[in-house]
Amino acid sequence: MGNYLNIMAAQDAAAVVELDEKPFLTGAEAMMEALLAEEVDTIFGYPGGAIMPTYDALYGYIDRINHILVRHEQGAGHAAQGYARTSGKVGVCLVTSGPGGTNLITPIADAIIDCTPLVCIVGQVKSFLLGTDAFQETDMIGVTTPVCKWNYQITDPNEVPAIMAKAFYIARSGKPGPVVIDFTRDAQAGLMTEGLNYQKVVELMSYKPRLIPKDEHLQRAAELINNAKKPYIFVGHGVLISGAMEELKAFVEKTDIPCASTLLGLSAMPIDHPNYVGWLGMHGNYGTNVLTTQADVIIAIGMRFDDRVTGDVTKFITQAKVVHIEIDPAEIDKVIKADAPVVGDAKEALKALLPLVKTNNHATWRNEFRKFDVIENEKITQRELTPEGKIKMAEVVHMLSKKTNGEACIVADVGQHQMIAARYYQFKKPHSYIASGGLGTMGFAIPASFGAKMGNPDREVVAIIGDGCFQMTIQELGTIAQSGLAVKMIILNNNFLGMVRQWQQLFFDKRYSFVELQNPDFVTIAKGFGIAGHTCNERETLSESLDRMRAHDGPYLLEVIVEKEENVFPMVPAGAAVADIRLE
Amino acid sequence: MLNKITILFTRRRINIESLTVSETERKGVSRYTIVMKHDKREEVEKLVRQIRKIIEVLAVFGYLDEESVYNEIALFKIATPMHSKKLDIETINKVYKAWVVYWELDYVVIEKAGTEEAILEFFRYIKPHGILEFVRSGRVTVGRTPQGLVEYLPEAEWEYYL
Ligand SMILES: Cc1ncc(C[n+]2csc(CCOP(=O)(O)OP(=O)(O)O)c2C)c(N)n1
Repeated sequence: MGNYLNIMAAQDAAAVVELDEKPFLTGAEAMMEALLAEEVDTIFGYPGGAIMPTYDALYGYIDRINHILVRHEQGAGHAAQGYARTSGKVGVCLVTSGPGGTNLITPIADAIIDCTPLVCIVGQVKSFLLGTDAFQETDMIGVTTPVCKWNYQITDPNEVPAIMAKAFYIARSGKPGPVVIDFTRDAQAGLMTEGLNYQKVVELMSYKPRLIPKDEHLQRAAELINNAKKPYIFVGHGVLISGAMEELKAFVEKTDIPCASTLLGLSAMPIDHPNYVGWLGMHGNYGTNVLTTQADVIIAIGMRFDDRVTGDVTKFITQAKVVHIEIDPAEIDKVIKADAPVVGDAKEALKALLPLVKTNNHATWRNEFRKFDVIENEKITQRELTPEGKIKMAEVVHMLSKKTNGEACIVADVGQHQMIAARYYQFKKPHSYIASGGLGTMGFAIPASFGAKMGNPDREVVAIIGDGCFQMTIQELGTIAQSGLAVKMIILNNNFLGMVRQWQQLFFDKRYSFVELQNPDFVTIAKGFGIAGHTCNERETLSESLDRMRAHDGPYLLEVIVEKEENVFPMVPAGAAVADIRLE
Repeated sequence: MLNKITILFTRRRINIESLTVSETERKGVSRYTIVMKHDKREEVEKLVRQIRKIIEVLAVFGYLDEESVYNEIALFKIATPMHSKKLDIETINKVYKAWVVYWELDYVVIEKAGTEEAILEFFRYIKPHGILEFVRSGRVTVGRTPQGLVEYLPEAEWEYYL
């Protein structure tokens, strides 16, 4: 027996020597090198059988790659989204095969529709087991194809450098989006048969996003803009993604055109800019929606005419000529016919357009928006901010906005509180409204908020979350506690799935079908996770509550008990024309 | 790849009439010929742009019937038991431009290439003989333009088949 052990020990020692001297990297190590070469220093993940060789390689890189262990893979995905949106970098997730991968589907679908660059590395069973219904085998290529920008299955360690270079390039270039890498266990554990030679991809043969618009497109657009009597700019997420804020400002100031923002375009223009008139869409402002019917030229920048913006599309801006600046050619004419399509990056397009447009004055036209603001203020804003009855969501956001001087980064979840956050926060800095727009994914905010904080640690990050949403990814409180990130969370607790309740009240005869919640004691739960917090139930303590939350060193949960049956207005009922926007 | 393309159709509830895939004269480059019916050209163009978004797709061309040269191929397996009506090979060859490509004692296989209409016309002609099996391919198509594939594809070091 002793002899046997000696032999085993000798063999192990030999194996170790061999490992140390091995000339080439494993696929998993090559993956780590790829991450470093792409300047990735933060990843979000969750281990499991089929990704273990990669986690083992990661162990050797913990001094260079900060891995955040989430509590559910959906959290990894949303955290990576939050991270990408505040840092401008690619968010990276690392998860195991089967359920690890399928748990990531929701964030992938969210990222494709909100154009967020992600690289999702998903473990896969050994390649000889593919197609055998092996333990935790899911066809990730099959299930992610409809919801990702690109996917690829790596079955050979030698493929790692070239494929990862391609993955990062595709994720971040053009219209950004999620890329899925299905990484078989044998490709992770196997040795490369060549040295690592990582070369970043800067161009691909079959994928060439156009950044610089065509001259004739710009000329035509400038002509329409210069001849317009009532031009109107729609600012979308694309402006933030391309970092075109300064160019937009210069363009707006030269042409003096009023501009409104989509939900995800919020904070691209500071709210106090004289040309900024508000936000568009279902719960957007009154004038911004109604006056779409009077504009003669619409200049849409980096936005895709989502149905939440257009309402009944057959009645939307039918009188206007449309200049559509967009990086994705498939968006041109998809919903709204463009009279002057400008395919290109928003920043490049605005830079190129600036010398072509005339200095102008549209003060009269701009002032028409202010008339509507007066009505909206009287009918809605003032009422919502009047300190009467229970605390209203609007008061909380309004006060937070004042206290933070409009400079915090707001991460909103999905529902009434999301709309109220968008409506009442006075954004001064770009990249300050992080929310799930296209997919409307409840549960987005907790994970996205700590991702956002990691993406830009210097910023004050405040998550605004509904009591329903909070319970969709509540387990990520553990991640926040473990990482000690100073994320501030506000639950606007109305004890209802408020947005659905609002629709049931307005469109289903107040038949409240399964929208009332029996909620847990959120503060106690947070404490259980090691996160401090308190509940605010009275208006008198709201201000002090917000101060306490902000002053706290580390993560904090503030639960505010708000009016149960408040509705969000203005509102364009689903399928109605935007001009039929309701104020009550 | 096939899945990446077809899901764009199914998601939009657009039926694929036929689909043919083969490698082109360039190694590694495959050509998909997809036939669809639609009365709105705009809608088809939207779909074309969606297909272009697939990272691996090099180029997409949309053609109306009259803008392209196309053909399909069909095989007919016809029963020829003893005492059955004799096949009129001369008519089959000369009028219908179809050919017997295989025969046994009690059946023959006839190949007919042509447009969908020409194939259906032959179908009607041969039907009384008793069709055991009928199979028709998807279309193969080239555009009615003087350009070659090379002019559409991005410049690269291509390997050619001789
Ligand atoms: C994953 C998911 N499931 C269901 C919905 C539908 N939905 C949209 S808003 C909403 C209610 C959200 O309730 P809560 O978090 O309490 O926020 P409130 O609207 O009350 O502010 C629901 C159920 C959704 N958007 N996402």
